Amino acid sequence: MTGIIYLLPSSIPFPLLFSFDPRISRLELPEVPSLPTDKVALDQFPTYEVFHQRKENAAYAYVGPVHAPEADVAFLFAKEQFSRRFPCTGMWVVPTSAIKVTEYGDDQQSVYDRLPLLPADELGTAAATGQESYDIFHLKKRGKAHAHVGQVQAASPEAALQAAKAAFGDQRPVVNVWVIRSADLLRSDDEDRDMWTTTPDKKYREAISYKVQDRIDRFKQEG
Amino acid sequence: MNPTLDLLYRLADDQLILGHRNSEWNGLGPILEEDIAFSSMAQDKLGHSLQLYGLLHELGEAEPDTVAFTRNAPQFHCCQLTELPIGEYDFSLIRHFLFDHAELLRFEALADSSYEPLALVARKVKGELKYHVLHANTWVKRLGTATEEAIERMQAALEFTLPYALSIFETTEAEPEIISSGLFIGEAELQARWEASISKVLAQTALTLPDLRTLTPVAGGRQGQHTEHLQPLLDEMAEVFRLDPTADW
Amino acid sequence: MYGSASTHDIPAKATTGLENEDPILLAEFEARIARGEKIEPTDWMPQLYRKQLTRMIEQHAHSEIIGSLPEGTWITRAPGFRRKMAQMAKVQDEVGHAQLLYSAAETLGKTREQMLSDLVNGKSKYSNVFNYPTPTWADSNVISWLIDAGAIVNQMANAKGSYGPYCRALDRICAEEAFHLKYGHDAVVHMATGTPIQRKMMQEALNRWWPAIMTFFGPSDKMSTHTEILMRWKVKMATNDACRQQFLDMYVPKIWEIGLTLPDANLRKNEEGVWEFSEPDWEDFKRVINGDGPCNAERIAVRRAAEENGAWVRRAMQQPKAQYVRPLA
Repeated sequence: MTGIIYLLPSSIPFPLLFSFDPRISRLELPEVPSLPTDKVALDQFPTYEVFHQRKENAAYAYVGPVHAPEADVAFLFAKEQFSRRFPCTGMWVVPTSAIKVTEYGDDQQSVYDRLPLLPADELGTAAATGQESYDIFHLKKRGKAHAHVGQVQAASPEAALQAAKAAFGDQRPVVNVWVIRSADLLRSDDEDRDMWTTTPDKKYREAISYKVQDRIDRFKQEG
Repeated sequence: MNPTLDLLYRLADDQLILGHRNSEWNGLGPILEEDIAFSSMAQDKLGHSLQLYGLLHELGEAEPDTVAFTRNAPQFHCCQLTELPIGEYDFSLIRHFLFDHAELLRFEALADSSYEPLALVARKVKGELKYHVLHANTWVKRLGTATEEAIERMQAALEFTLPYALSIFETTEAEPEIISSGLFIGEAELQARWEASISKVLAQTALTLPDLRTLTPVAGGRQGQHTEHLQPLLDEMAEVFRLDPTADW
Repeated sequence: MYGSASTHDIPAKATTGLENEDPILLAEFEARIARGEKIEPTDWMPQLYRKQLTRMIEQHAHSEIIGSLPEGTWITRAPGFRRKMAQMAKVQDEVGHAQLLYSAAETLGKTREQMLSDLVNGKSKYSNVFNYPTPTWADSNVISWLIDAGAIVNQMANAKGSYGPYCRALDRICAEEAFHLKYGHDAVVHMATGTPIQRKMMQEALNRWWPAIMTFFGPSDKMSTHTEILMRWKVKMATNDACRQQFLDMYVPKIWEIGLTLPDANLRKNEEGVWEFSEPDWEDFKRVINGDGPCNAERIAVRRAAEENGAWVRRAMQQPKAQYVRPLA
């Protein structure tokens, strides 16, 4: 099968499904649907978590996941799913599997308080070599979204969490922490800033563009 | 026709018809997220055509809605590539790839047009077209290096679509004046840039670009000659609009 | 766009299974909800909570993806640029909402492809109103305005529920629905106050849709044990009747003020401020939700075709080495 068969005149051996939708009619579906088939188990992409920046200099905040085969595709998908309706100046995506998650604490508390301090040698923090950058995200309240608080240098995710406690542990409340190796985050390119500035022009997607009270008032007066 | 009107009609009609076609995928796409992305690009195309019809209106042509919803096929100047049915996703992606590469390069050049209102529009839509091309490239690179099935489909779609894609660059009688007045760099120059641009991406895939010199462009669209698919598209698009010509919808 | 929380399809006599849950964990869980904190995916939760939420969010997601079809019917025919672009954006949003909701449901353990598989195999339900057709442009407008209005009543309530990922998705969805509601209202007002052809088309569409709209929030609540538990756990946030009353109170006056009538002679607000109406035909509702409606077969056939036609793309993009893990939040 190739994409060109649609141009051949169709000779369909079965009665077609009637639809009020001309797009559906063009699919030429049988009136009696084919037998259901279970989707193959492999038909499931990995997930990526997405963070967006609402305006310049604002902290990146979690907006949700997308399903995608690779980070570049996840980025394409994330852009339209999460920036088409709200202003956005940049976006990061990361494989879900690359995020280290702490346990969730109660609202008003800090999970850092329950984090045992591990000996430095166990974490390799003493060694200056093998250090890399980690991005730290906090959840301030259950039901809200994780937001970026900063970066730390560490030799492992566990060590990064310890470093995060030292750097950001005085913030509260902190219900949950995400630790992400900075190299695992795919970030939007500064050169592509113009790609993100188009949303505000699309007024037809804004409730505020639909003002109909005048028309109602006129109708009532004439009525 | 006046060279400015000639150019604007071609640009606007291309965007309207392809935006319309691509909107047919909305809700029927292969992956939820892709469905959303493809719809955004279709909306962008509609938005671009509206801005271009707006320029035509400023030059004395009818309202955008009238121009878009009441003309018949012979009065349209879109290339035939844009009017073909959506087919399967391989064809729709290849058309998107071939068309949007030309579109991005076209509007980059138009940003320096001697007709300042058009240059303004061109600068405004560049951010959107950048995403369209990024989207097209990502898909072509992924599918063009994926399974045998995908490569075969994409190659077949490419070979089928190219003669139509060459019709993007069909010129009209106004071409010499369009170039000499600085309105636009001209279709031949655009085509040269386009070939370089698509070749660069295709070279990163298992797809083969045929020798374009051996292909015959499916021309005629710019002169109002269209495939049998355009008039039904227009009738469908205007079905409600034409129910009551006096109505405000 | 989603109506009732569909808790009415839990068999009334089914066991809650609560006797098998750890009483200490259960008490902590309930205390957390009672003090207004949200539940997050890795928290302990009772089986019934997980099961009901999964079902509810999954049905909500299905309702969005199926709900994109009746309005999608007019996507190529919307009159004029303004309507054409907005109709596209609205249908797109419904698909976007499905994406958000499937993700929220996935955090509870069921994969998205399993949910989509259950949908195309007829194993899952979705909002029953989408089993009715949109034979005219005006029918699409009625959905854009009134079905979305109903959905907003329901979603605003559910956004105050106890499950974090669902609340996050609903916050975003409700913000987007504001456009849908205004767009739908704008389109209906233009029709109702327009030319005789437009007015007639709109009145006929409203007459067709009103019975379905009256069933949108589901049958009257029978306060079963389950409903009580689900309301205590903030899974179900408002009764079907309360949602229906709120909807009628907000929208019937707006329908009447533009000269449209509703095909129910008994519809009125009584002295106590409660809306009275003819009881909807629940037998017909059951018949349709169980598969015998005018568009059930088409809706499923279209989703199946979309799945089948897109299968080669997904196959080609598979990364055998990449492991699926459920989304975090």
